[in-house]
Order: sequence, then C-alpha cells, then structure tokens
Amino acid sequence: MQYQWRFDVVWENFPIMLSGIGLTIALSILSMLAGAILGMVIALARLSPWTWLRGLAYCYTELFRTTPLLVQIVWVFYVLPLVTGIAFSPFYSGLVAFGLNIAAFMAEIYRAGITSVGRGQTEASLALGMTNAQVMRRILIPQAVTRMIPPIGTMWISLFKDTSLVSAIGVTELMYQARFLAVDTYRPVEIFTICALIYFVITFPQSIGVNWLYHKYRTRE
Amino acid sequence: MADVVVRVEDLHKSFDALEVLKGVSMEVQRGEVVVIIGASGSGKSTFLKCLNRLEEPNRGRIFLEDVEITDPKTDLPKVRRNIGMIFQQFNLFPHMSAIQNVMEGPRTVLKMSGERAREHAAQLLDKVGLSDKLEVKPGQLSGGQQQRVAIARALAMEPKVMLFDEVTSALDPELVGEVLSVMKQLADEGMTMLVVTHEMQFGERVADRVVMFDEGVILEEGPPDKIFQRADNERTRRFLNQLHWEGD
Repeated sequence: MQYQWRFDVVWENFPIMLSGIGLTIALSILSMLAGAILGMVIALARLSPWTWLRGLAYCYTELFRTTPLLVQIVWVFYVLPLVTGIAFSPFYSGLVAFGLNIAAFMAEIYRAGITSVGRGQTEASLALGMTNAQVMRRILIPQAVTRMIPPIGTMWISLFKDTSLVSAIGVTELMYQARFLAVDTYRPVEIFTICALIYFVITFPQSIGVNWLYHKYRTRE
Repeated sequence: MADVVVRVEDLHKSFDALEVLKGVSMEVQRGEVVVIIGASGSGKSTFLKCLNRLEEPNRGRIFLEDVEITDPKTDLPKVRRNIGMIFQQFNLFPHMSAIQNVMEGPRTVLKMSGERAREHAAQLLDKVGLSDKLEVKPGQLSGGQQQRVAIARALAMEPKVMLFDEVTSALDPELVGEVLSVMKQLADEGMTMLVVTHEMQFGERVADRVVMFDEGVILEEGPPDKIFQRADNERTRRFLNQLHWEGD
C-alpha cells in the first residue's frame, strides 16, 4: 500500500511551527554575538605574550572543539546547575552552551586571521615605534577582518542549523515544535519534511551569500 | 670624541643551536654610510634586525647615542622611533594608501595632527618622486615605487639612523636604480645609514666604509676602494669575484 501524504495537518499546525522559528533565529543571533565577543577575548589570550594565558585559552578552545555540541548543551542544562547552583531556563542554557562553543570556534577564526597577516607587517609596525596594542589595532586587525568574513559566514550557517539540538533540552524552537507535532498528529513524515524545508528556505539564501563573500574576498587577495 | 650614533659591542645571536652572530662590534659615526656585504647566511640581516631588537640578541650591547637599546628597562617603542628600517619585501600596509602609509607612524606613534602629518607625508613622497601616487594603494604600485614609499614612511619618523635590509633584492633589475638613487640622495644629505646589499656599485659610489660579514663575524672592513680593489682577506676577494661572475 502506498503512503498517503496528508499535508493538511501541517498547515493546520503551521502557526506552532512558525512560533519555533522565532526562537531558532533569536538563539542563533544571540549565540553569535556572545561567541563573537567572548571569542575575541580568547583569541587575544591565545596571542598574548604570557605562556600560562596562552595555555589556558588553548585548553578552552580544544575542550569545546573536541566534545560533541549536544553533550555540551546537555551538560550545561543538567550538570552546570549542580556544580554552580545556577540554573538557567532551557533557552538560556542553550544560549550559554552555544555562546561558549561558538566562542571557541570564533577564537580560532580570529587567531588564524591575525596570524595570516605576514610577520613583515608586524616588523614594519614595530620598527616605526608602535606598541603591540597599536600594531594589533592599526595594522593586524584591519587586514585580518576581510579574511575572517568567509569562515565566519560558514560558521553562522552551521550554527543556525545546529540550534535544532537544543530541542533535546526542551527549548521550544523549530525542531522541538516539529517533534512535538509529529507525536501529536501521528504525521512525522509530513511534519519533518516541512521542517527540513523551512530550514532549507531560510538557510539557502544565506549560503549563497556566504559563497558570494568567499568569492569576493578570495579574488581581492 | 667622534660623534658616534650607533655602537655595538660583542653582539651574539643564536637561533636554537645555530650561532648566527659570534661577537660583532661596530661603531657608526653620524652621517656615515656603512655598507655591509657578505654571503647569504653570514649574519648580516640578523645583525640589522638586532639593532632595533626585532631580533633579540643573546649577548652584547647596543647603543643609540647614549641610550642602551639592549637594556631591558629601555622603552623599546620609543627608541625604535629613531631607527628607520626598510625591508626586502617592502612591508607596506596594504590596507592604506601611499600617503596613509607615510602618515601612520607620525599619527599613531607621535600623535601628530592629521593635517601636519599629511603635509609632511606629501613632502616626503614628493622627495622620493611619488607626488602623483599619494592616494594609490601599495597593490597598484610597482616594486620600486613601493620601496620608495617605504623609505618615505621611515623618513617620516625623522630617524637618527636608517637600516636598509637588502632593499633591492626583491626588485626587477630595471627598478633597482630608482631606489638606489633615493638612497644616494639620503646619503648626500647626511643621513646615517647601514645598508645590507648585494649592489656592489652602490657600495663603491656611496659607502664611506664597507664591512664584510662572514660566518657571524666581521671578516674585514675598510673604505670601498680598499675592499673592492685590494681586500686583505682571501675570502673577501673570492666573495667579490663570485658576484662579478653572477653579474655577467
């Protein structure tokens, strides 16, 4: 017997799915902002002259890059309150986990961008009498920024999709709503198909944008 | 007493197990042009980079006038203002126009007003023959033009001494002359210069003194006609002969 597609249940519950998209977008943007700021601090620590600080920053980035994101999310939600006594709502737990995770990856992007600016630029700046901070601010960061834009774009796309993982801790974003509706309507096939389609429709134009950025900044070199 | 600008005492520098400088001492008088020659790996570029501590010497002392550069308490950025350096690869700031490159030191380091820095930079670019390239980015300039911008950038700090680290080695042969003529002009104006180069003609015409580096020590030094015509040391003569062959 052939499967009988019933998309009407999707349309009936579409407002519920749409309500999830708002949280998906909010979580993505806030995580990105938090990660971008914290990542800068970590990147500067990794480039600092002090060995202990570099080591600390290195451990941080490696910890988050070598453990699964889902484990990090679950850990922040279930374990962190036990350890620290601070309990977050599911949304804020997700934000904390993502912020910390994105920071580790952003730190690597910043660091790679800055170290990709040749040693000669630093030498020329120091020879003029600049301090290390001036070299960073006037010479290295302005040149590194254009090189960072493509990898940041790629990471943003991953982040946007990966926010679906926080459905595991009960954040009522798009994926959570889809899972809820799948159980509720007994129509997982239609629900998850449309759910995938929604992710695609939102992500695809961004992906094109990122490709365009890649092209733009590659040909400029 | 003579007017010594740079004094180096027993300079040693190693990279891990490799000993690049094995005790170099030198005095440079105000207005003197010292040309440093020697095979690659002889330590001459490392020597220059030790002078403003872009490379950290392992042992020995360096003085700029009466300030000891090698003293750990020395305010390094402040001393470096007085030591202009020009690099083989130009190292211009690619995100800035020619005039911004020249203004960068005075603006950021000396906190000069934008107006004054711009005026001064325009004069310097005019001096190196680039008054029509003020707003051009380095990527749009030829190697020779870039190197002249780099010279103007160093001059903008009004240094007491300038270090030239193989500044024509990365240039196409037809562009070498325009850079050397700017350097000759500086020498004529009385700039104190240390010049690491393979351009022996420049050494012959402009140098007050030629210093031959070999395996991390000064093998021999003297006035250019002495070194180029009748060097005492066999290795110096062989090095110079070899260059002649390459030039032909």
